[in-house]
Amino acid sequence: MKDKINGILSEAEIKIAAAANEGELQNVKSAFTGKQGSLTLLMKEMPKLDPALRPEMGKLLNQAKNRVTELIDEKRMELKLKASEVSPDFDCSVPGILPPRGALHPITQMCYDLNDTFRSMGFEIFQEDDITSELYAFDKLNFPPNHPARESMDTYWIAGHDSGSTNEKLCLRPHLTGGSVRYMQTHKPPYRFVYPGRVYRNETTDAHHERAFFQYEALIVDKDITFTSGKVMIKAILSKVFGTDVPVRMRSGFFPFVEPGFEIDMQCQVCGGKGCSVCKHVGWIEVMPGGSPHPNVLRAAGLDPDVYTGFYVNIGLDRLVMMRYGVDDVRLFHSADLRFLKQFR
Amino acid sequence: MKLSLSWIGEYVALPADMDLKKLAYDLTMSTVEVEDVEYLARRFDNMVVGVINSVEAHPNADKLRVCKVDLGGDVKEIVCGGINLQEGMRVAVACPGAIVRWHGEGEPVEIKNSKLRGVASYGMICASDEIGLGDLFPASQEAEILDLSAFHVPAGTPLAKALDLDDVLLEIDNKSMTNRPDLWGHYGIAREIAALYNLPLKKIEPYQPDVQPGFKVEIDDPERCTRYIGVEMSGVSVKPSPYKMQSRIWKAGMRPINALVDITNYVMLATGNPTHAFDADNITDHIVVRRAAEGETLALLNEKELTLCPDDLVITDSEGPVALAGVMGGSKDSILPKTTRVILEVANFESTGIRRTALRYDTRTEASSRYEKAVDPERCDQALALSMHYFQELYPELKVTGFCDNYVTKLKRAEIDVSLTWLAKRLGKNLSNDVIRQKLELLGFDVSIDGDNMHVIAPTWRSTGDISIKDDVMEEVARLYGYDNFEATEFTTTFTAAINQLDQDLLRHIKEYLAFRCGMQEVYTYPWMNDTFVNTVLQSTEGVLKLSTPPAPELSYIRSSLLPNLCEAVMKNERYFDAFSIFEEAQVFFDRNYTSRYDPTESLPEQRRHIAAAFASSTKDVSLLFREAKGVLEYMPRFTHMEGFTFRKEEKPVWADSVVWLNVYRGEEKIGDLGLLSKKVSLACGIKNLSVMLFEIDASKLVPLRSRTNKFTHLAEYPETDYDISMLFDSGVKWTDIHDAILGQKKASALLKDASFVDEYRGKQIPAGKKSVTIRLTIGSGEKTLTSQEIESAANQVMKKLEKKLGAELRTQ
Repeated sequence: MKDKINGILSEAEIKIAAAANEGELQNVKSAFTGKQGSLTLLMKEMPKLDPALRPEMGKLLNQAKNRVTELIDEKRMELKLKASEVSPDFDCSVPGILPPRGALHPITQMCYDLNDTFRSMGFEIFQEDDITSELYAFDKLNFPPNHPARESMDTYWIAGHDSGSTNEKLCLRPHLTGGSVRYMQTHKPPYRFVYPGRVYRNETTDAHHERAFFQYEALIVDKDITFTSGKVMIKAILSKVFGTDVPVRMRSGFFPFVEPGFEIDMQCQVCGGKGCSVCKHVGWIEVMPGGSPHPNVLRAAGLDPDVYTGFYVNIGLDRLVMMRYGVDDVRLFHSADLRFLKQFR
Repeated sequence: MKLSLSWIGEYVALPADMDLKKLAYDLTMSTVEVEDVEYLARRFDNMVVGVINSVEAHPNADKLRVCKVDLGGDVKEIVCGGINLQEGMRVAVACPGAIVRWHGEGEPVEIKNSKLRGVASYGMICASDEIGLGDLFPASQEAEILDLSAFHVPAGTPLAKALDLDDVLLEIDNKSMTNRPDLWGHYGIAREIAALYNLPLKKIEPYQPDVQPGFKVEIDDPERCTRYIGVEMSGVSVKPSPYKMQSRIWKAGMRPINALVDITNYVMLATGNPTHAFDADNITDHIVVRRAAEGETLALLNEKELTLCPDDLVITDSEGPVALAGVMGGSKDSILPKTTRVILEVANFESTGIRRTALRYDTRTEASSRYEKAVDPERCDQALALSMHYFQELYPELKVTGFCDNYVTKLKRAEIDVSLTWLAKRLGKNLSNDVIRQKLELLGFDVSIDGDNMHVIAPTWRSTGDISIKDDVMEEVARLYGYDNFEATEFTTTFTAAINQLDQDLLRHIKEYLAFRCGMQEVYTYPWMNDTFVNTVLQSTEGVLKLSTPPAPELSYIRSSLLPNLCEAVMKNERYFDAFSIFEEAQVFFDRNYTSRYDPTESLPEQRRHIAAAFASSTKDVSLLFREAKGVLEYMPRFTHMEGFTFRKEEKPVWADSVVWLNVYRGEEKIGDLGLLSKKVSLACGIKNLSVMLFEIDASKLVPLRSRTNKFTHLAEYPETDYDISMLFDSGVKWTDIHDAILGQKKASALLKDASFVDEYRGKQIPAGKKSVTIRLTIGSGEKTLTSQEIESAANQVMKKLEKKLGAELRTQ
């Protein structure tokens, strides 16, 4: 009997170890300790046994039974830890639950990118009101009295404030530069600041022309700055926007508020300067005007142009964003169309 | 402006192997933007002059002819519908590969060998407008073939060569030379090229007149008309001008008319100085240049009838105005087929007056667009010399019967002193005095250097405002030296403190919070509002500013609130989305509190920066939408580090639902509103199905915290327990009442740490007029771990207090 018990025990050990899942384990359990299990059947044979052997055999039998139960429990725990909590059909390809997906307007994003760049170079951020007087929009910027830009066909004048002297006439700012004079008037030189904002032009709109658009102005004013310092600011903007150092060139340009004035071109990023339809086969794309503030502008800001000079650039953010993403219609920016805006989150 | 390179080459000796790409680049970098360099001959690729050997009827078509055409060696059959075909005629033949426009209209097409009504045709015999020459060779009737018999060239000569169109056109961006009146003509650009490359420039020798004392020109306003040369001539007639003159005028983008008119246009295109020819027989007495009298009338060449004002300058005879000075001639004195005597006008007019007049009558012409750039009066000499050269060449019989040069306001050449030290500093480069002098002298400046001082005298053609200060001189030196030859220089500065712009940071934090934390989409809308949304959302236009020339009649009001445009945005997006939340940050304007902190004479309206949001959803449960919007505002101060705000119910926004609204306060000041767009307003806005929660706050009134203000609290030493209770309250009881009752002045239990809202329920299981509110109590002690009895007893105290104070009942299942 003792051998029988040991035989069953080692058989049980092998079978338990071999059980691959809970079902098989259940079968093993009933094969040994169930109603018809081999150990249970042995137990039933006890009465037939020599009474002198009964205590020892009973003890052995119980020990064997406990051992089997123990092994089964261990195995069950082992199987449990090994198994997945879910069905094997669980689909890992279903999409994740996304966090809140709001977004800033793509122009705001561009603006903040540039703000971060200029902040890192010690520039302040300036913000001014949208309605200005003609005095600041034109006079203080050295625009001659009859300059075409002053006329209503180019500028949105405010009803009831559209006649009289230039300090009385009010308009939605046609550009940011007048606001820069306000900054200079109220701060002590040297200056280095950027000035993002929306500007307004009274014109017919199409895919490339808008009545409201964003400019980004950057200005440094200090003693003895040469006009070539401007290249540093230009490169800062373009390398931030395009992620690489973009070759730029400065060429002659005329704007009343700068002297000398420049048109600033960047190498066409589509063809790498070889010439393509995007750059009209010249290899360069005009991106912004720039130049040293005109002495009259510095005077208007209360500075002595013999002492101070500087460099200014003013870039159209709408156009940069269009280039960054390949947007082909500027009017989408003010459309508040979520089908468009959701693409930039 | 289009310029012919061969014409330019008449004034400056261009090297034969001139690199045109480099020329365009150098002009662009230093002077004006060259937008295009066009090899004109390419338009006429695969086109030759053919001689018609025979013209025969087409077997299958009445209107077509079959021509045998000699193309120089080859004789080809070409089918043609022209009405003026004749044997021996020279014609323009577009061979296969040529690009033409059928009948001068539509898209360009490539000529191919083809069959026309069953007869093979090699290319096409062209009408002038089919090959873009309609302006140079105007056809007198439909289906008229371009007759080139006057051009004595052999058959097979390339068309471009035969017609002297083997030229290069430079197209220059007009905007890039508004400040350079001297460049508005071929001679001006030639002069600039001569300076850039140090090439010899041809001088235009002045005309030596025989003065005729009997002829006079009076100038009444020497400010507006600085110079007027009048030349009276007889022995002229109306006839075509020489082909070379015609083709040059055509290349520059104008139309040849007749010799008298062509000479004046040619001279303008050459020198940039407009000129005009009057029929002398229609001028009574002598010419007077004066201001118009109020109400005086003038019929222009283009048949426009003007009623003039005293700001207009007119050319008059003793009977009245005959021309709008510097803008357009009148019909009375215009050149007619019978004209035999003319008065040539070569004059100079002040720029801004010309501009005003041209704008006033919406009549901008080639002449006015040049005068309004400020042409220098010395240029009249060139224009006169060139005019007389051509008059005498074209009319050998011509007699000058009157001449008067009334130069009343002499041009003063601009003189400027420049410190060479200053120049070196601004250039960031030390150029030798010789280099500086050489560059300026090439441009026509007179230069004298004495120690550190350089005295420069600008040439006459740069002295009408273009060059006036030393910065202008610096620019001249730099651009001629070449901007490419200046390296970028770094700039340095000293830092005294870190940049700390709390207000700027706050705005950005708020926008980033709304977008990234709250999952909202930022939108931009225009500053003007649509009347429909003004009327429905604002319901009043008091204090709202207006544009005097709005983008559209219904868009005249500029925003005093961001909500009308946000509602419009919700309406437009409703088609595509059934739940979304958007926000906008922008300036608003009010017709009040005019002031300026920059200039005492300036007065600007009140302008503020608002932040507004719309939460739109097709949900039936408005309370969730309300709580979402309110939650965004409640958490905003904490997230963005600003002073907090409170909600009150003082003044219902006009657009809001009668129940669901709150005012936002900072201290005792109202800074905004929060509310549900009322069904009535919502429908009037065209929003059909969505419920819309709105808020708008005045960002100008938000106060950023200088630093973080919340304090650390020690972690609880003994466990705290959350214990939820649900009680029935009267439906009108507010959460703030419940919260106050539990945690107000006297806490319901000393062990109570906090009480928060879980949810509320009205419905089937709840008696009418009641609601069930579930409240989460946080219970704990700083001294020990509480037993469950202690926790329950604390909760019971809360419930008792609610029973007593608010009549709450424990909710029974």
